[in-house]
Amino acid sequence: MKKMFAGFLASAAAAILTSGIAAAQCKPQSGMPDYTGVTVNVGSQVGPFIASAMKQGGDSWSKATCGKVQIVEFPFGELYPKYLTAFAAGEDAFDVITFAPAWTPDLAPYLSEMPSKMRETDAWQDIHPTYRDRLMVWEGKHKSQTIDGDLHTLHYRIDLFEDPEERAAFKAKYGRDLVVPRTWDEYYEVAEFFHRPNDGIYGVTEAFARGGQQFWFYFTHAASYTNHPANPGSMFFDPDTMDAQVNNPGWVKALEDYIKSLKLAPPGALNYSSGDTRQQFAGGKTSMNFDWGDTGTVGTDPSQSQIPGSVGSDLTPGSTTIWNYKTKKWDEFSRVIHSPFMAFGGWQAAVPELSEDKEAAWHYVEHTTNIENSSIQAITGGSGVNPYRYSHFSKDLWEKKMSPREANEYLTAQRDSLGATNVALDMRLPGYFSYTEILEIELTRALAGELSAQEALDSVASQWNELTDEFGRDSQKAAYRASMGL
Amino acid sequence: MRDWSRHVFIWPATLVVLLVTLFPLVYTLDLSFQNSRLVPPLPPKYIGFGNYIKLFGQERFWSVIGNTSIFVFVSVTLQYVLGFAIALALHSRVAGERLYRITFLLPMLMTPIAVALLWKTMFNQQFGPLNQVFTFFGYANPPFLTENIWSYGSLITVEVWQWTPFVILMMLAGLQSLPTDIFEAARLENASSLQMFLGITFPMLLPLSAAVIFIRVVEAFKIIDTVYIMTGGGPGIATETLTLFAYQEGLKKFNLGYTSAISFLFLIFIIIFGLIYMVILKPQIEKRR
Repeated sequence: MKKMFAGFLASAAAAILTSGIAAAQCKPQSGMPDYTGVTVNVGSQVGPFIASAMKQGGDSWSKATCGKVQIVEFPFGELYPKYLTAFAAGEDAFDVITFAPAWTPDLAPYLSEMPSKMRETDAWQDIHPTYRDRLMVWEGKHKSQTIDGDLHTLHYRIDLFEDPEERAAFKAKYGRDLVVPRTWDEYYEVAEFFHRPNDGIYGVTEAFARGGQQFWFYFTHAASYTNHPANPGSMFFDPDTMDAQVNNPGWVKALEDYIKSLKLAPPGALNYSSGDTRQQFAGGKTSMNFDWGDTGTVGTDPSQSQIPGSVGSDLTPGSTTIWNYKTKKWDEFSRVIHSPFMAFGGWQAAVPELSEDKEAAWHYVEHTTNIENSSIQAITGGSGVNPYRYSHFSKDLWEKKMSPREANEYLTAQRDSLGATNVALDMRLPGYFSYTEILEIELTRALAGELSAQEALDSVASQWNELTDEFGRDSQKAAYRASMGL
Repeated sequence: MRDWSRHVFIWPATLVVLLVTLFPLVYTLDLSFQNSRLVPPLPPKYIGFGNYIKLFGQERFWSVIGNTSIFVFVSVTLQYVLGFAIALALHSRVAGERLYRITFLLPMLMTPIAVALLWKTMFNQQFGPLNQVFTFFGYANPPFLTENIWSYGSLITVEVWQWTPFVILMMLAGLQSLPTDIFEAARLENASSLQMFLGITFPMLLPLSAAVIFIRVVEAFKIIDTVYIMTGGGPGIATETLTLFAYQEGLKKFNLGYTSAISFLFLIFIIIFGLIYMVILKPQIEKRR
């Protein structure tokens, strides 16, 4: 027994000595600061999405600076309360937090400003201005760094759309060629055509679950009918009065469409989050979906997909009619207006004021999102990182992972959406969860058939207006206008 | 001469108890009379019974009360009936009784989150094993978690599955503590099993039953994890329970004053329920003693 104990002590001492030597041997790479002994705690949603990207950046940063990174993961629905309760209690629990831009108004008072030297590099200029100059800014200050570019794009099955028999059958039924849908009406025609439950294939898949990114999918529908080019920033609220616009005819039409999608989706879709939709699409169960760019990276990855080589991408459908909230009429357009929706707006990373290692934390953020690391993350299926830098749109990068056609369509859809003249920004408002919770409840009721689209949205509008009054109409209006760049 | 030393031992403990129970209670009560929000941060303002009036006027609050009450009533009734029945079977020494006893108790030992995730997979409308069973009988893709009644049924099934073992455990212990001579005397009088159950077993276990049901009712009223994981309170708010509602208001919207009012009403509700329960049962229990 004594021998065993002595042996154990000797092994433990050897292990400690070895790790001590290893630590002592760590030297920062040339030109990098020495963060030996520093541990950066990073808050993230449960991996792999985003958490794996933060880890990839963390491993690289540790090698370069000798600092350590600890990723603390929470379910998506728990992230916001975890951060806010820690900040409100004055806890130094996180050195870096990753979050949705929509939460910025609520989190901003607790966040430090990005060091100015981070904004003086070529890597800074490489970030797309929609993120760099809009979503990373709150009240004139850069409070966060985009770590993921997010917007919704359409994905379709190339093999189905180009099957000669399918094309002939479609033409015979609808009197036009089977092409990627440009409008929502075309989207439902195609979805209806491919909806064959008996063969195990369904028309479309979208997220419908309360708490499962549901409302961003609905916003994508709504953007097409309410993001009027002549009235920027008026999609959610009247920017002059802060009256909710969510029950106008454009939103009602969008909800009727969204309900139609549910009927053309696989069984149980009412419980689908965005992750489920991309699994269904990559599993070859649906002819189309629209989603963040992850469907593209997951669907083209042979280790995760049943349909690699067949993932086509395009802009989400648009509309030739858009509701004008000022004239209270539908405006007709001679061409299809696409209003790609910056759903979620891409994950952001920020450093709380309470962090005791702000300098190291910002350095970690800068390193994780530099061109080299972010490029690796962007092309890795399951990282949750979609293009947000100009350099991410290099075809050479993507053709390592996708077929030339898939890469070309994926990048074109992402780039054209981001650069679209009528791109629709997501809502960013103080008390964001209070607004979206109301919407989620009524949306779910409408999807379940308890309420008509109009009834559900009238209820949302009335509750949103009450909330705006309670929070202070003037301050909410100022925040909303700022978030919409007005 | 009075012994003061006892105060040295009693008071520190009393103060700790007061600190950890009474202080939060008083603080919550005070908060419930304020309009206090962390998001967006609003300066706290006393509004009297404003939060309570708002709650009583809110359709969602009454819906949540209704949901929770039905859920508690149905699930605890099933747990008690099934639990008592299984305990009787185990007590009568059926073959393989030890194996059954261990197997029946396993669900109770699992964490509710794990149980909810397990059952969420079981109830998957497309790939879940229960769907396979229903499909075999000609009813494919039942909306287990996506339609009101089905969602309710699914949640109750899980609650009954997990907590019936608690009733089994308690009732079995009660059955084993009953004196055997009374049953022997009844057998000599040619009493049937049903007569013995209605005349001896049930009345003698009534005090224990009252305690078991009360514990389960209070616990069931606090349910949040299973609902949060399986349905999130949906579809809409069809399966939202009181604690989930309080969680959404308090930790998602950080509406602290309002959440405190919900918590206090919950406490008052449980106290009133407990009092009524005891008033109804006390004469019955005393009569049997």
